[in-house]
Amino acid sequence: MMSFIPAWVFSLLRDNNIRIGGGFFLLLLIAALFAPELAPHDPNEQDLFNVLLPPMWEAGGSADFPLGTDALGQCVLSRLIYGAQVVVIIALTAPVGAAIIGSILAMIGGYFGGRSDWLINRVVETWLSFPAVVLALILMIALSPGLHNVIISIVLVDWARFCKVLRADVLVIRRRDYVAAARITGARPAGIIIRDVFPGIIPTMISLMALEISIAIVAESILSFVGMSVGPDVSSWGGMISDGLSSMYSSPYPLLLPMIAMILTVLATTFLGQGVRQVVDLHLAERTREA
Amino acid sequence: MGNTMAVADMEAVVFPRVEEDVLLKAEGLNLDVSIGGKTCRVLRDISFTLPRGKTLGLVGESGAGKSMLGRIISRQIPAGFSVSSGSLMFDGEDLLQASARQHRDWLGKRIAFIPQEPMTALNPVLTIGQQFTEHMLRFGVPAAECEARIIQALEEVLLPEPAALLSKYAFQLSGGMCQRVMIAMAFASEPDLVISDEATTALDVSTQAQVVRLLRDLQARKGTSVIFVTHDMGLATHACDEVTVLYAGEMMETAPARNIFQHASHPYTRALRDATPRLKGSVIPLKTLEGQMPGVESFADIPGCRFASRCDYAAASCNAGVPERVSVSHGHSVRCARYAELETLTAEQHSSSGTHQPGHAFSARSVLQASGISKVYPAANRRQKDKLALAAMDFTIAPGEFIGIVGESGSGKSTLGRMLMGLEDLTSGSIDINGKTLGNDEASWQRRISLVQMIFQDARSALNPRRKVGQLLTQVMDSRPHQRLERNMRMKELARDVGLAEQSVQRYPAQLSGGQRQRVNIGRSLCDLPQILIADEIVSGLDVSVQAQIMNLLLELRREHKVALVLISHDLSVVRYLCSRVLVMKNGEVIESGETEKVLSDPQHPYTRQLIAAVPPTDPDAVWPGASFTDKEAGVL
Repeated sequence: MMSFIPAWVFSLLRDNNIRIGGGFFLLLLIAALFAPELAPHDPNEQDLFNVLLPPMWEAGGSADFPLGTDALGQCVLSRLIYGAQVVVIIALTAPVGAAIIGSILAMIGGYFGGRSDWLINRVVETWLSFPAVVLALILMIALSPGLHNVIISIVLVDWARFCKVLRADVLVIRRRDYVAAARITGARPAGIIIRDVFPGIIPTMISLMALEISIAIVAESILSFVGMSVGPDVSSWGGMISDGLSSMYSSPYPLLLPMIAMILTVLATTFLGQGVRQVVDLHLAERTREA
Repeated sequence: MGNTMAVADMEAVVFPRVEEDVLLKAEGLNLDVSIGGKTCRVLRDISFTLPRGKTLGLVGESGAGKSMLGRIISRQIPAGFSVSSGSLMFDGEDLLQASARQHRDWLGKRIAFIPQEPMTALNPVLTIGQQFTEHMLRFGVPAAECEARIIQALEEVLLPEPAALLSKYAFQLSGGMCQRVMIAMAFASEPDLVISDEATTALDVSTQAQVVRLLRDLQARKGTSVIFVTHDMGLATHACDEVTVLYAGEMMETAPARNIFQHASHPYTRALRDATPRLKGSVIPLKTLEGQMPGVESFADIPGCRFASRCDYAAASCNAGVPERVSVSHGHSVRCARYAELETLTAEQHSSSGTHQPGHAFSARSVLQASGISKVYPAANRRQKDKLALAAMDFTIAPGEFIGIVGESGSGKSTLGRMLMGLEDLTSGSIDINGKTLGNDEASWQRRISLVQMIFQDARSALNPRRKVGQLLTQVMDSRPHQRLERNMRMKELARDVGLAEQSVQRYPAQLSGGQRQRVNIGRSLCDLPQILIADEIVSGLDVSVQAQIMNLLLELRREHKVALVLISHDLSVVRYLCSRVLVMKNGEVIESGETEKVLSDPQHPYTRQLIAAVPPTDPDAVWPGASFTDKEAGVL
């Protein structure tokens, strides 16, 4: 039976925001997975005879480079497709990492209260008082460039928001009778947290994660714009924007195309996040009504 | 409208055919919903007449469809439901046919509602004055006159200092005061019809009595008709002129309010009566009504009487077709094919009912002894005072003893229960179990939870909605090594013990009815066979028939397992039925205690007397002193 899949999973698929956002994201995922097959060129392959070519539909464009080339004669389309890999990886991992750290600390602080809660709260407040980009930059300088380190630094910057929001949920659940009821059956705190508290914060966590996707994508592109993200041999949209800046007066395409890709992606993930939040909220409202 | 003819004949039965001014008249009203391709008749053949200035009570258990009528009138029926036939005449015009504009015009002006939860019905970010003004402007009171009219309206509901009230917010008022504001708003437009949907259910007994009295007063003065929806038959006999008992969307019995209890003719009305504990007279064992009301989705499969499956007197003929409504006497009609035979049948049954004993102690030795326990909540900041939740008190309980703790909300009775359980720290005093003092260490806690268990008030919030019933029943075993087989056996045993079907262990709490959930809640606390159960208002949210089942279950558990019970309740008749000893609490202090019968028949403290008087008596001829105001009380509230 399908009964182990909660009903809200199905209602996710009926939401228009999710269909639009999720559909675009699915395309991106396919592009990233099949990049070697889809890309006409190697992203780092330089063709110095064809520098700053316009896209194929413009005068002087070539069908060999559908979206033209940049100042080094690299295929813009191929670089965009390979750049999608970075975007997808970041979009899938950073929210999960931030959710894990944030929710664990939220549950410890919110459930036990007292000194651990005080400490976690102060750390969260300190964290949130830093501008996120500055903090990520400092971390990247300490960690050295590379995909793993980008993920780590985004996670380390964004867990605090998860922690702050989820802790409020934990405080509410902690006061529920079923938590007291679990205590008087002799359950240990770890057991209560796993069986009674954690399932209750999942809906909020899911909507936070959906919102985190677009935040993480933008954060990564900012880091690669300043050259502090994945290495120079990996193509990323932020890096393409930064490269395109120098030649923007001779040809705007190497700058515009990654920017458009970026905007569409962030828009799509925002739609996705919005949709997920609506569906989850609706389910929360329904559940409280029945409760 | 095929059955209009039959209904027209019935009409004379519902209200005496005196030349009365009829305000609301329903004829053969049917409400349908289609579920899974089947059309289910949610409300079947609802017909009544409500004269001007009278009150019609709709009584029934949850799921009987009593709120649906109000929803039909306000056009708020849920999606998928539709009125398929019948008419609903409001002052000569059909409410169902009226244009949306006309209908909107009537609502709030000629038809007003009093909601169940006054606190949530008022907007928390607007002051009472703002909300009231908005309401007044809507039905055309000039802005300049609003304030004076509002103050006058608030005075009519006996709220003290109405002018000061205007700038207050809902959360600054008590539940009773909010409900008075709602009543004042409902009556402000001098409506012809007021619909009160369980308006007093959320209130304390003594507040309830005053609110009902107020409603009656205003109604008499303004000649308003009221539809009074309630699940409390005792209340209905005193608050209404005429009472209709609903079961599964069908009008089972209609009678003048004074007769409905004493001369109940329908087996269901009788069952309700026999399941309601009394505050006066001899205590007889409550007869429980087995099973539960059929759900809407199964209505289509019941060809005959919807009560037949639970009826003691059901015969084959009952399932053959829908019984007609028959007139019993003047103004009294019943929908039962066999009501005439019932008189002889019940006489036999009544003689066989035995005597009832509440939970007396099995021995003089005490299991739990609390001495000098008190609870003070420290102030949040220096400007506030420490809040005393419970003044120092002693408490003992013996094996098998059922002790009732009564008092209004905020009296400290729940705090006492949580302290005995160990969910609240003691500010002072100590608790001994079987002669050994409990400390704060882990061993003491383990000993405590193996001997004392608590049943929480609201089974919905006390059961984790994401775990199966079987897991919840044996939740104690979560934290200790066990074999799956052993656990499965124990969950089935427990399910049987509390009267649940064995298959139900595979279900989730949301798939159970309220009564079944409460059984799971009780079953869980029995897993380790504790000696003391602490039950916090466990029957207050339940329908009478379920309440009777749970109460008899508790007495049975006492016989079988020798458990003692601390019953925290605001319902004195429940306490009388179960408990041999009672403690009356007010403002964190025990003001009276002793044997239940003695305290109830001869209360010493004025507050106890007031509490007892506030309960609507089941005898229709008895005056309800709690519902009458003294000037002093009116000033205090």
